[in-house]
Amino acid sequence: MHIPDGYLSPATCGVFGAAMIPIWSAASRKVKKTLSVRQVPYLAIGAAFSFVIMMFNVPIPGGSTGHAVGGVLVAILLGPWAACIALTVALVIQALLFGDGGITAIGANCFNMAFVLPFTGYYVYRLISSNSPAGSRRRVIAAGAGAYVGICVAALCAGIEFGLQPLLYHTANGQALYSPYGLNVAVPSMVLGHLVVIGWVEVLVTALVVKYLQKQDAVFFEGGRS
Amino acid sequence: MSNALHKKRDFIERSMLSALAFLKDATLSEECANRKGFLQSLDPRFKTISFLAFLVTAVSLKSAVLIGSLYGLCLLLVFFSRIPLNYFLTRTLLFIPLFSLCIVLPTLFSMVTPGEPVWSFHVLGINAIITRPGVDGALLFVVRIATSVSLVVLLSLTTRHSELLKVLRLFGVPQLFVLTVSMCYRYLYLFATMVENIFTALKSRVGMVSRHQHGQNIVAWNIANTWNRTTQMSEEVYMAMLSRGYTGEPQLLSEFHATLKDWFWLLCALIICAGLFYRGHTL
Repeated sequence: MHIPDGYLSPATCGVFGAAMIPIWSAASRKVKKTLSVRQVPYLAIGAAFSFVIMMFNVPIPGGSTGHAVGGVLVAILLGPWAACIALTVALVIQALLFGDGGITAIGANCFNMAFVLPFTGYYVYRLISSNSPAGSRRRVIAAGAGAYVGICVAALCAGIEFGLQPLLYHTANGQALYSPYGLNVAVPSMVLGHLVVIGWVEVLVTALVVKYLQKQDAVFFEGGRS
Repeated sequence: MSNALHKKRDFIERSMLSALAFLKDATLSEECANRKGFLQSLDPRFKTISFLAFLVTAVSLKSAVLIGSLYGLCLLLVFFSRIPLNYFLTRTLLFIPLFSLCIVLPTLFSMVTPGEPVWSFHVLGINAIITRPGVDGALLFVVRIATSVSLVVLLSLTTRHSELLKVLRLFGVPQLFVLTVSMCYRYLYLFATMVENIFTALKSRVGMVSRHQHGQNIVAWNIANTWNRTTQMSEEVYMAMLSRGYTGEPQLLSEFHATLKDWFWLLCALIICAGLFYRGHTL
């Protein structure tokens, strides 16, 4: 889901960069309030954890493997605001040092993966888990559902961003200047892949990790750390 | 044969490879950044600004020829910075640009992009027509992406990663965020090694996991265990920071020194970008 440089127009990148500024600012205010001076090591290690989740390959039926993004898992573990910062840190490192995701598209990538994904997933998790006991099975199901909804909504956002490009930026004869497919192609192709395969890998990893953490320390899920 | 290959690359191997690829990439990048080349000799701040100007130019231009000239400049800089060309081309062209080429292939045809036909052929009883606007659009898209990816990778290969992260301060990024990014980067090495060790141990003790449900449980348990270790570590790191006098107000040491060469390079870079923009307007 990492959007590379060149897929989105500079104006689109600018809009998403500008949209992320108040979100980052609110996130840092919230995190500062809850974590105080402990925030630096906590967020740095949380960001490294969200980066490392992608290194764990999960076996999927049919003999293939896939990896999870882990955005909703990080949001459940750290709280959505801290997750927003941790995922932004991970995305900045990926873009700047490893060329994974564009530098000009960092605003759009952060909007999809550090804002939409953790927040949507986290609130779906909260909605379903409600006031259920920390060690309950309902929380495992809620985590899986949150992960699935979160990643699919983030993919939908990326699809809309791609799909708007040929409508907004084209030459006089209609030739697309950036991502070449309209909404009718970009949205289904982004969303279907996540609904059918990637979303389920995300469900599997998030639900199983929550289940294991419940076994080790169920108290942790009472209210989370948000 | 294919079965044997398939067995060789189960999830344990793939996870080990992911961790090793990260460590290999990071080590190779540091090795390239320490070479005595042209870009390595520049102040990271000036180099980053010039590369961002190139990147914005590449993303904004609407002519494949002009973007291609920027790609030519990028390859010239690769040569003068003593980066192995094979390694650079493999790293920059094999993944994102090749993937983008696959994505853009259908737009070559008249069904997606109508216009003046340049070539037609029959395939499975269908008359496929490649059009000029289709070729132009696809070329522009792929050249732009290849150039953008190459510029970012070249910047990353010729600048020590710790310095590149410090440059973020230049763009008004809060000190606290820069410190978090720098610390996170250091811990990535540790965690990548941790992941590699986990799966090496698994490989040596279990060998292969044939049931995918069993494999999924192993992966989930290990992610959960990694999380427990990270929370423990964050407490220890915080205590270590306190014992070294950390008060909650981070201070980053800046060792950057600009020379006349850096200013001259920046001026050249901005002139090149302005020239390309001007040419793009007059085309």
